[in-house]
Amino acid sequence: MTRTRLLGLVLLALVAAMAATRVSGQVAPSADWRTFDGTWSASGQRQALPTVDGRPAGTFQLSGAIALTSGVGLSRGFRGEAIGYDNGAGVMVGHCVWTDERGDRVYSQLRSETVAAGRLVTGTVTGGTGRYTGLTGEFTFEWQYVIEGESGSISGRAVGLRGRVRGGGRAQ
Amino acid sequence: MIAAAARSAWIAGGLSLAVALLIWFTPPPEGLTVPAWRLFAVFAAAIFSVIVGAFPIFTASVLAVAATVMTGLLKPAQAYAGFANATILLIVVAFLVARAVVKCGLGQRLGHLVVSLFGRSTLGLSYSIFLVDGLIAPAFPSNTARGGVIYPLVVGLAEAGGATPDNPARRRLGAYLMFSGMVSLSLSSALWFTAMAANPLGAEIARSAGVTMTFGSWFVAASVPTLLAMALLPYLLLKIMAPEVTATPDAPAAARKALTALGPLSGGERTVAATFVVMVALWASAGTFGLDSTAIAFLGLGVLMATGVLTMGDIAKEGDVLATFIWFAVLYTISGQLNEMGFMGYLGQRLAGALGGLGPLPVFLALVVAYVLLHYLFVSQTAHVLALFAVFLDVGVKLGVPAVPLAFTLLFASNFFAVITPQGSSANLLFTGSWYLSQGELYKLGAIATVLSLVVYLVLGTPWLMLVAR
Repeated sequence: MTRTRLLGLVLLALVAAMAATRVSGQVAPSADWRTFDGTWSASGQRQALPTVDGRPAGTFQLSGAIALTSGVGLSRGFRGEAIGYDNGAGVMVGHCVWTDERGDRVYSQLRSETVAAGRLVTGTVTGGTGRYTGLTGEFTFEWQYVIEGESGSISGRAVGLRGRVRGGGRAQ
Repeated sequence: MIAAAARSAWIAGGLSLAVALLIWFTPPPEGLTVPAWRLFAVFAAAIFSVIVGAFPIFTASVLAVAATVMTGLLKPAQAYAGFANATILLIVVAFLVARAVVKCGLGQRLGHLVVSLFGRSTLGLSYSIFLVDGLIAPAFPSNTARGGVIYPLVVGLAEAGGATPDNPARRRLGAYLMFSGMVSLSLSSALWFTAMAANPLGAEIARSAGVTMTFGSWFVAASVPTLLAMALLPYLLLKIMAPEVTATPDAPAAARKALTALGPLSGGERTVAATFVVMVALWASAGTFGLDSTAIAFLGLGVLMATGVLTMGDIAKEGDVLATFIWFAVLYTISGQLNEMGFMGYLGQRLAGALGGLGPLPVFLALVVAYVLLHYLFVSQTAHVLALFAVFLDVGVKLGVPAVPLAFTLLFASNFFAVITPQGSSANLLFTGSWYLSQGELYKLGAIATVLSLVVYLVLGTPWLMLVAR
């Protein structure tokens, strides 16, 4: 094999590899990021326990309606349920499940400083079921208000729920 | 006649079942889960069955709770949670305390006293209820507890006028006074910032939208529409309900004579009066001292039992209280679960979100009307405010409606819509359980009174708010 022919084969392989990469990107749109936008109104319960520095640690459980105003491949609305732990020292971690009208679910993990008005929460989409199988992504939202009522009841509204997802099936 | 009534009840029952099945087997709209949609089917069918006269509200409620648990929509612990709710227990205990006021004769004495002052007409009696309620309201953050104070007075007024539920000659008089008590509680709650628990909660939500509400600014904003509604509704309801007696020019003199005949307070009356005064004082200061309103009612009941004013025999006769406790706890729970499943928020978001493209005034009107109508699905004013107020305020502001008038109007509506259904507020229950009004009458009158209040607040209140609450 001459050096010229070898160089030609290498160039051809490189071009083929680049073409394959581009074609692959075109035929697998589910790998594209799709953005979404919405709100979440939730109510539930919070339980608190005092800590040594006086700031109570607590668990919370919330559920309510998620309404999306944009977002290709996602339902227009979900039932959003979350459960979490706030250590009272500025760290909140939680898990969230969104369920749509077909019963298909989107799973995510939540993280923020604490559950309070004006606080920004970040979420990481870790997967799903049904048409959301394999879904990944991220989102943020801000608590517009969080109100504690009698007997540990808690209500809040999350605004600016924005994020992006990729993978999963496309909604019809 | 009886056969025809039975046939129409069967038809109404069949229609109710058809409503339940139709919704149940229809696929849920996009964004709602199947359990939420099916729970709505059960709730809607239960309310529908009461409105069309298929079942009493008690029967509809127990069938509904059985259906929700047996079909797996709710776990038993969820379905029965309302039976441990403090506000519902407060209603039960307030019922029993009110019975003591009637039993010892203090209610009748109070009735004669008010008739002697305001009793020249039935309308005057109604205004006297609004006056007393309006004056004590700012000290009572729990409108249910305030109902516990007003209800014995209304019973006393009705009995002083010869109106008992089993006396057909004066039943409409009693019904008018009872419904006046319900409407009065709803409007006095709108008049004062501190007269209903959800008012400060709403203010906190409004603050996040840049609207500041204080005790003073609330009163100024509420004063004109609420006082006008308080002046108009007793008169309009009198025309609509047409009690058997309207002009009673001799009643004040007769009441004074009856008071003289009653003589001084009996031992039982003194005990009940002292207990009641302490309860009222504790209820009024409950917020300041961190006291629980239900515990205060239990304390009062305990004192009345311990002193022998009420006996176990009296308690055993109060089957109506048990019925009210059961049906309200069931509907309260189902409505609450609908909210937790996202149904209320979904509906509010979808309705409010459909208004894009309209001008600020149509948006304002549509939002307020939709907000009021959605109370048909709620069994708690506070739950309604927490579920929908922020959504409607947010949508309205984004579509160009000024935030301050919209926030105030929605929160005033959160009070006056309480009477739209018998279960629309726990404060209604003492009056609806008095048996002066049938469930059908309560739904009809509730709709009329809500529409009248809505018109007053929109037509007269909106310009006033634009003037004073910028």
